[in-house]
Amino acid sequence: MPIEVLLIEDSPGDVRLTREAFAEVNSSIHLHVAADGMEAMAFLRREGVHARAPRPGIILLDLNLPKMDGREVLAQIKENPGLKTIPIVILTTSNAEIDIARSYQLQANCYLSKPVQLDAFESLVKSINDFWLTKVKLPH
Amino acid sequence: MELIGRKGMATEVLLVEDSPGDVRLTQEAFREANQSIHLHVACDGVDAMAFLRREGGHQGAPRPDIILLDLNLPKMDGREVLAHIKDDESLKTIPIVILTTSEAEADIVKSYQLQANCYLSKPVQLDAFERLVKSINDFWLREVKLPQHSEGK
Amino acid sequence: MKTKSLLSRKLQLAFGSAILALFVVGAISYRSVVVSSESDRWLRHTHEVLEKLQDLVATVQAVELNTRGYLLTGEESFLVAYHAGVLRTKYDQAIVRNLTLDNVEQQRRLDALDLLASQKLQLAERGLGLRQTIDLGAATDAIQRGSGKPIMDDFQILIGQMQDEERHLLALREADAKRRFAQTKTALILGTLLGLLIVAAAGWSAQRDQAARGLAEEALREGEGRFRTLANNIPQLAWMADAKGYIFWFNNRWFEYTGTALDEVAGQGWQKVTDPDHVQRVVEKIGNCFRTGKIWEDTFPLRGRDGNYRMFLSRAVPIRNPEGKILRWFGTNTDISESKESGAKYRGLLEAAPDAMVVVNQNGEIVLLNVQAEKQFGYHRDELVGQKVKNIIPEGFAERLVADGTRTAAEALAQQIGTGIELIARRKNGSEFPIEIMLSPLESAEGTLVTAAIRDISVRRAAEKHLAQMEGRYRGLLEAAPDAMVVVNQSGAIVLLNVQAEKQFGYSRDELVGQKVKNIIPEGFAERLVADALRSVEEALAQQIGTGIELTGRRKDGSEFPIEIMLSPLESTEGTLVTAAVRDITTRKKAEANLLNKVEELNRSNEELGQFAYIASHDLQEPLRMVASYTQLLSRRYKGKLDSDADEFIAFAVDGAGRMQRLIQDLLAYSRVGTKGQELLAISSEQALQQALINLRGAIEEKGALVTHDPLPTVLADEVQLIQLFQNLVGNAIKYQSPGVPKVHITAVRNGANKWTFSVQDNGLGIDSQYFEKIFGMFQRLHKREEFAGTGIGLAICKKIIERHDGSISVESQPGQGSTFRFALAGSENKS
Repeated sequence: MPIEVLLIEDSPGDVRLTREAFAEVNSSIHLHVAADGMEAMAFLRREGVHARAPRPGIILLDLNLPKMDGREVLAQIKENPGLKTIPIVILTTSNAEIDIARSYQLQANCYLSKPVQLDAFESLVKSINDFWLTKVKLPH
Repeated sequence: MELIGRKGMATEVLLVEDSPGDVRLTQEAFREANQSIHLHVACDGVDAMAFLRREGGHQGAPRPDIILLDLNLPKMDGREVLAHIKDDESLKTIPIVILTTSEAEADIVKSYQLQANCYLSKPVQLDAFERLVKSINDFWLREVKLPQHSEGK
Repeated sequence: MKTKSLLSRKLQLAFGSAILALFVVGAISYRSVVVSSESDRWLRHTHEVLEKLQDLVATVQAVELNTRGYLLTGEESFLVAYHAGVLRTKYDQAIVRNLTLDNVEQQRRLDALDLLASQKLQLAERGLGLRQTIDLGAATDAIQRGSGKPIMDDFQILIGQMQDEERHLLALREADAKRRFAQTKTALILGTLLGLLIVAAAGWSAQRDQAARGLAEEALREGEGRFRTLANNIPQLAWMADAKGYIFWFNNRWFEYTGTALDEVAGQGWQKVTDPDHVQRVVEKIGNCFRTGKIWEDTFPLRGRDGNYRMFLSRAVPIRNPEGKILRWFGTNTDISESKESGAKYRGLLEAAPDAMVVVNQNGEIVLLNVQAEKQFGYHRDELVGQKVKNIIPEGFAERLVADGTRTAAEALAQQIGTGIELIARRKNGSEFPIEIMLSPLESAEGTLVTAAIRDISVRRAAEKHLAQMEGRYRGLLEAAPDAMVVVNQSGAIVLLNVQAEKQFGYSRDELVGQKVKNIIPEGFAERLVADALRSVEEALAQQIGTGIELTGRRKDGSEFPIEIMLSPLESTEGTLVTAAVRDITTRKKAEANLLNKVEELNRSNEELGQFAYIASHDLQEPLRMVASYTQLLSRRYKGKLDSDADEFIAFAVDGAGRMQRLIQDLLAYSRVGTKGQELLAISSEQALQQALINLRGAIEEKGALVTHDPLPTVLADEVQLIQLFQNLVGNAIKYQSPGVPKVHITAVRNGANKWTFSVQDNGLGIDSQYFEKIFGMFQRLHKREEFAGTGIGLAICKKIIERHDGSISVESQPGQGSTFRFALAGSENKS
């Protein structure tokens, strides 16, 4: 049973890195990508071209997005009764305390800071996989 | 050079668990995984809330960095505790890891609805349990950025 | 005597009442006895009647019996008895009738009885007759037929009624008697009680009177005693007279003053020492008062033991008992004359006065002077007494005191009293000198005199002149001063200024003298100097002296400029003045402002720099991450898959990217020392070291390093940065080693009152002295990259951290001998 993962990330470089990193550790992932907040909401609401989009089992969200800021996306998803049970893992470059605090306030499930080094990043993705996609009971 | 551990302060973990056996197991597993943890135990929902609100004997209680919550508790049910905490503006940023025996879909969904941060089902076997605790430690206490707080709220 | 008559009347009343009571009692008793005997008589009477009635009944019954007896037996005896009985009956009836003659009812009944008796008799007779003549049967018949029984019954009934009547009467009489007895008893008791009461009241009243009289007498004696004690202690003459005016006691003063003894002046003897011209009048007046009881007051002379008469104000008041009767007179005599003594006292005072004192009368003549006046004017007393005061004070004194058309001497004086008047006096030798006189009035028999205290003020005048001279000199100095000088008086007006002040404010001298200083220094000057309720001018001044005060000055043209004023006090005849040196500080202010600006700029620039460093490194991270990550991926995936050149190229790229990443990270860390710095708090340096070692445990384990330390103190530091400091220094100590066991030792030594000098000593490679400064520079390395990793920022970060803590860092080292890095931190009061 493949796990549907929605990655909301605007940097194609980071997208590719994430994809590669996940591919290393888990072959049965369907990684969906939304490059900005609007697209993400459309995907989740199954609007427009995303009419047949699957419901993600988990969302990886970068905070620094164009158009609709990641914090807003987080707020919107958590306000939506139909979407709020989907765990949201913040995966962003910032490790500013204010970003961390705000994210938890908006009920992000957890906050991870993207490491600068490649191997550290790969290691992080692995731990996301080990924890969230292996141990954690996700809602269906 | 990365600084490991936040400012050298121990991580405060609140375990809300009524089974003394499970409490002990958790303690041992955490000791294995991480030396610098202060594990606090509340054996029912009422006690847990008192600890969090620093009431009734828990005046000097530290604010937990993370809460491990069993769903099946006497006096006040774990779901109620979850709801109470997530309703409280000052407490809702503390990540809550549901750690319970139930694997029922209803419980899982309900927990996420109430905004539990994640749901883990307690394995039956000891070594699996130990591994689970280790993974909690590795993920939540190593990788995850937990919200920091100023004492004195 | 009134009292006695009252008392005896009371007694008379009492006795009379008692006797009356006795009579009443007697009368009642008599009546009672009479009543009693009457009552007895009636009792006896009634019993008699009852008895007789019973007899009657018995007799009738006997007759009956006898009749039956005869009828039955026919025996003669019965007949005889019957006849006897009949007689008896008649006899008894008569008696009863006699006894009840007064009672009509009973008499009637008796009549009825008589009738019945007759009827009965008839029957009996018939019966008997029949018996006698015929036989028993016929008799019995007749009897049976006859109404014998009913008659008997009626008879009985009547008898019963009569008896009841008698008994009833008896009861009534008895009740009556009882009532009368009860009355008697009550009357007797009341009477007796009344009598007793009267006697008791009388006795009590008499006794009270007696006691009151005793108390009054007691009070009187006490009062007298007190008067005597008082009288002997007052300065006045005092005495006591009886109600008739006979003085029987004088106080000690009397005898002292008059030089007499009691027997001489007792009674009316005091007249002896009364002025003969007055005595007649006095005796008349006092006699009148004694008689009428009015308070006596009179003024007349009494002769003293020295033979002189003095005027006395005399007074006497009567002392009465509770009934208003005068028992005693208490009197006093007060000396109201001018005695020689008080005059002497005054003269004594005058002599002793330190100033010259002259007493002048209303004509301007000297009546009295003291020795100081003699000395001051160079005269002898006799030469001045009686002379015109004009001789010694030619002008200004006499005129002020002359009673002229417009005012009396008293008024003239009143205007002068208290104020010192400055005049010129003339000595005997004709020389003149300045004086100040103070006047005060003096009442005397000859009218109002004037006492003048005269003070020689030549010295004072000289001082004043001197002061004026000094002032003149001061003015000269003022003019010469380089700064603008302004002298201000206590009301804030300018009294003096110099030419510099003129120039500075653009005024001419005349325009400013007398003006309020506020005109040239609008705020801050006058206020500070005004004597307000809180403090005097002196105090206000004292607070300001010496300190330069920055204010704003205003020129004539209205333009304002910054000034600094320095104040100093100046004593003058007009009181304390304030000299203000006024300096134009426009240029100085400009320079200050400039400096502030520069400093602000510098701060801003520093901040910008810091921010820049942060932003730059932060923003640079992103693209760098891409480069580094992807070159690494390239290397991973395509190493050996392309040609060796490609491998080499990729390797360099990866390396470069990696280095850049590390440089950026270190730059970020360096800039964070300033931007992310936290408040310096009391931190346990030992705990900080422990955390650093935990962070380094990988490296420590890998190299098998031995890290030791002495007890380390509590210091004032940023905790995170302190950990970082230790981590860098210990990390370096472990890293820059030749193969072997790295040993690091950390100590802290107290240095001065509140400073600690830390040392981190290692057994590493050591450093050549020429590099001691360089190594703390940014990105400075002493080794090739291949030898030791690192960007060279570690020590720069350490230095920045230490500088942020107001300290300095240095190194001691020799190549091959290891190094010791030293830095100082401020201690904290808390013991760790």
